[in-house]
Amino acid sequence: MLATLACAGAICGQQRSVKIGFVGPLTGDQASIGLDELQAVHLAVDEANRKGDVIPGCRLEVVALDDQHTPAQAVAMAKRLAADRAVIAVIGHVNSSCTLAAAPVYQRARLVQISPSSTNPEISRKGFDTFFRTCATDDIQGPQAAEFAIRKLGARKVCVIDDKTTYGKEIADRFEVRAKELGASVLLHESIVQGEKDFSPLLTRIKALGPDLIFFGGMYPEGALLVRQAKGLGLKAKWLGPDGLYVPAFIDLAKDAAEGVCCTFVGADVSGVDSAREFLNAYTKKYGTIGPFAPHAYDAARIVIDAVRRAGKVDRKAVLEEVRRTNDFPGVLGRMGFDGNGDTTLRLISVFEVRNGRFRYLGPARQ
Amino acid sequence: MTPLEAFCQQVINGLAIGMIYALIALGYTMVYGVIQLINFAHGEVFMMGAFLGLTVFGAFAGGAWQGNSLVLAPMFIAGMAGCGALGVAMERVAYRPLRASPRLAVLITAIGASFILQNLMMFVWGPCDRSFPGFFSGAGLDLGVVRVTAMQGFIIASSVAMMVGLQVFVTRTMTGKALRAASEDMVAARLMGINVDRVISICFFIGSGLGGAGGILYGMYYNTITFHDGYLAGIKAFTAAVLGGIGSLPGAMVGGIVLGMGEGMAAGYLSSEWKNVFTFAVLLVLLLCWPSGVLRKARHE
Repeated sequence: MLATLACAGAICGQQRSVKIGFVGPLTGDQASIGLDELQAVHLAVDEANRKGDVIPGCRLEVVALDDQHTPAQAVAMAKRLAADRAVIAVIGHVNSSCTLAAAPVYQRARLVQISPSSTNPEISRKGFDTFFRTCATDDIQGPQAAEFAIRKLGARKVCVIDDKTTYGKEIADRFEVRAKELGASVLLHESIVQGEKDFSPLLTRIKALGPDLIFFGGMYPEGALLVRQAKGLGLKAKWLGPDGLYVPAFIDLAKDAAEGVCCTFVGADVSGVDSAREFLNAYTKKYGTIGPFAPHAYDAARIVIDAVRRAGKVDRKAVLEEVRRTNDFPGVLGRMGFDGNGDTTLRLISVFEVRNGRFRYLGPARQ
Repeated sequence: MTPLEAFCQQVINGLAIGMIYALIALGYTMVYGVIQLINFAHGEVFMMGAFLGLTVFGAFAGGAWQGNSLVLAPMFIAGMAGCGALGVAMERVAYRPLRASPRLAVLITAIGASFILQNLMMFVWGPCDRSFPGFFSGAGLDLGVVRVTAMQGFIIASSVAMMVGLQVFVTRTMTGKALRAASEDMVAARLMGINVDRVISICFFIGSGLGGAGGILYGMYYNTITFHDGYLAGIKAFTAAVLGGIGSLPGAMVGGIVLGMGEGMAAGYLSSEWKNVFTFAVLLVLLLCWPSGVLRKARHE
């Protein structure tokens, strides 16, 4: 009995495991985004293992950790990954505040980090040479949302609401600046508190101002409450939001009040891109409905795997160097590379509108 | 929309949420009145009511019940009875064995019960926001540009009905009299032949049942519920109970309405970002003027 166990151990031992870390919210109200990204990473890793050509004799493995979308927890999880020498790259984190908090830990450990969805522009300007991302940033998304609102939707009087987070406030501020530049009048800019439920007093105030468009910088749980309560108050203004609303859960929670809501997204309409079709089929077959950032996470994982293959050894510095060299990589979102700050060279912002309970692609935000 | 119309709309908004706070506050105040315990798990009992209502809705939805508001009857019955039973069980298991212990010990137990219930809800109903069905499909009454949705009307009417019912029960029935006696002086009540344990159980049953009804109204109003929603709502309702004078039933009702209105006005006229700061600043001033609450009746020793 003991002999068999020892044998089995020896066979496993020959196949070294190389770990790719994933960190994001896996419990709590934003768990759905974290799980979407994690599943996409699993898909990429499984495909690579099936081909078995990454590093001979090595097997890739995903280590998934939960940062509960709180910066403190993000740092703790980052330290765990940094301490594990078998971890050669990290996909994450999901939220900008968490990515920002954890980035110094990865920097010290010379561990490459690719975030699929942290869109705050400040992160890549702090000089972390281990940081990369596959999504476009809010300094592109916010202004382009304003251009869409004013040039395409013809909004003249707008109200702006944000949720006071790193993500929501940044995007709302940049929306406001660009909207003013384009000649729209911003009647009000107010913040709400994440986790609150009753926004009808603020919406009543907005109704009295009579805007033709309301921009909300924030995530879908509050977004859904806002549009529902606005509908209850008979507020007729058009709603526009960032990619935080571009989640199927937004429509589930907002129900019929979601109809006509527009949101921008930091990437192309994946369903219309040929390179994405195979991935979309594989993902939906295995996991069902696909979330908005799954393609970004899938591309991030494939960039890492490709870098490991090129590096040819299990070494953090070599992998980091190869990720930095990534250029014209054929991702499902399109061909991409990274600029000097680690930001993706793919900077397309698209706009979607909810029609008959589904997101419909309207076109790029900037024509 | 003129400023006056906007003001009227804010009053209605504040009244609807204030009524829900008042229903929860009644549970805090009833329990405190009898055993001087701040039942910190009450916010979780309130949320449990919303989840029970959602589960019953799930069981009845479809078939002949599709889109029929009559489904509210089993939802409320199950939610209120379930929460009532939960409250009674909690008192038996967690609070009664400690009744002779220092008050702080029971307070810690209550915090423990709150954590257990919150995690239980996360385990059973999942960590994500759950969508709660909407009722009355956006119907409402338009008074000029001021709009009272059918849902707001339902919240106000049903809360008033429950509060009137409670008031009648407490002032007009023998059990209600026993309840008042026990809250006045438990030892004397026992000497008069009142079964104090039974009175305490009844008190937990009614208080938790009203909290459960509040939870269903909350779910119907906001249409999304999460396992940790009970925390903030509980804190606010507790504040309402203290504001009205903890231990006083009319106080809890008035406190809830004042708090809801205050919040609405702060968010509507000052800043929605700082509304809790303004609201609690006002409460601080009120409590400085009336340290034992606005409607706390003077007790003769």
